[in-house]
Amino acid sequence: MGVHKHRTATLSRLHLGISCLLLLSACSQSYVVLLAEDDGSLGKVQVTNQQGATILEDNQEAVDLGTEAGKTFTVSAEQIKEDFGAALAASPQKPLSYYLYFEGGGTTLTAESRADVPKIIDEITKRRPAVDISVIGHTDTVGDDQLNAKLSLERAKSVAELFQDAMPDASKVTIDSHGERNLLVPTPDNTAEAKNRRVEVTVR
Amino acid sequence: MIKKQILTVALMASLLSAHAWADESAIGYVKVKSGEASISSSNGIIAAEVGTPLHLGNVLKTGENGSLGVTFKDNTMVSLGPDTEVTIDEYLFAPANGELKLVASLAKGTLQYISGVIAKLRPEAVSVKTPTGIIGVRGTRFLAKVEAE
Repeated sequence: MGVHKHRTATLSRLHLGISCLLLLSACSQSYVVLLAEDDGSLGKVQVTNQQGATILEDNQEAVDLGTEAGKTFTVSAEQIKEDFGAALAASPQKPLSYYLYFEGGGTTLTAESRADVPKIIDEITKRRPAVDISVIGHTDTVGDDQLNAKLSLERAKSVAELFQDAMPDASKVTIDSHGERNLLVPTPDNTAEAKNRRVEVTVR
Repeated sequence: MIKKQILTVALMASLLSAHAWADESAIGYVKVKSGEASISSSNGIIAAEVGTPLHLGNVLKTGENGSLGVTFKDNTMVSLGPDTEVTIDEYLFAPANGELKLVASLAKGTLQYISGVIAKLRPEAVSVKTPTGIIGVRGTRFLAKVEAE
């Protein structure tokens, strides 16, 4: 019985050794590979080492980190799964952002935005216990920019209060305000614009 | 009664300071974890759990069967496969003041990076260092693997 066990262990070690030999390049390689995002969008990556710089711009295009710059290759889906399966599986849920809009000059939500609040609370609840949120207030350009800085903070605080029950751990709520400096719809000064009177809530 | 009030005030003060501290220094949170994973800082080493806050300078490590997924405050997502070590060297996210920076080091293992707001606003402010090369990001998703020496 003991002998049999020993043989099995030797065999599986042998098997491991062989599969590593077959995949020698993958077993010993340090490399970077560009991947399309879930929505299909593709960016670029620049890899710089002592040999120079390489730009990756195609899906699954890769470059070895240690060797000659400019020499790219394509990595198969199987190889990506083999090397990065665990890292891909540990990917967090994508953060979701919501805009809540206000009546002019104050902290009263529009009726439509009030109706959106339960949706956000649902998303927060779904993501517990890992959830953290940020609440960023904005104004349009009507009035003094100092007052707008204050108003956008008040808007953010009033919205954060709506999530107090869903987010009892206040350390996981970030409140910020950008006043009239970060317009969603660019306008001249002193322009009423409903789309700029908003609080952005991001649920992570 | 007075005692109770003092207690309440003390409790509120500690909650307030904890709140301020957490807001200022947490730069992200652990969202996904399996197997063995730890976070170390100058204060020591702790087991990573879902919800553990991340701070500047933290070293994220996974064991042989471990994996870890974290989301930063700018929505950047980084996930680590097994036997991986990543250090958060620099992190600045104050878009209102134009302060944006994300620099991390991958010493060994496997990593997935999905860009967030920092890379969208200022791509040149994001880089991932490896022992043999530096990865610069132009608003995207990539995978990197570093074999231990």
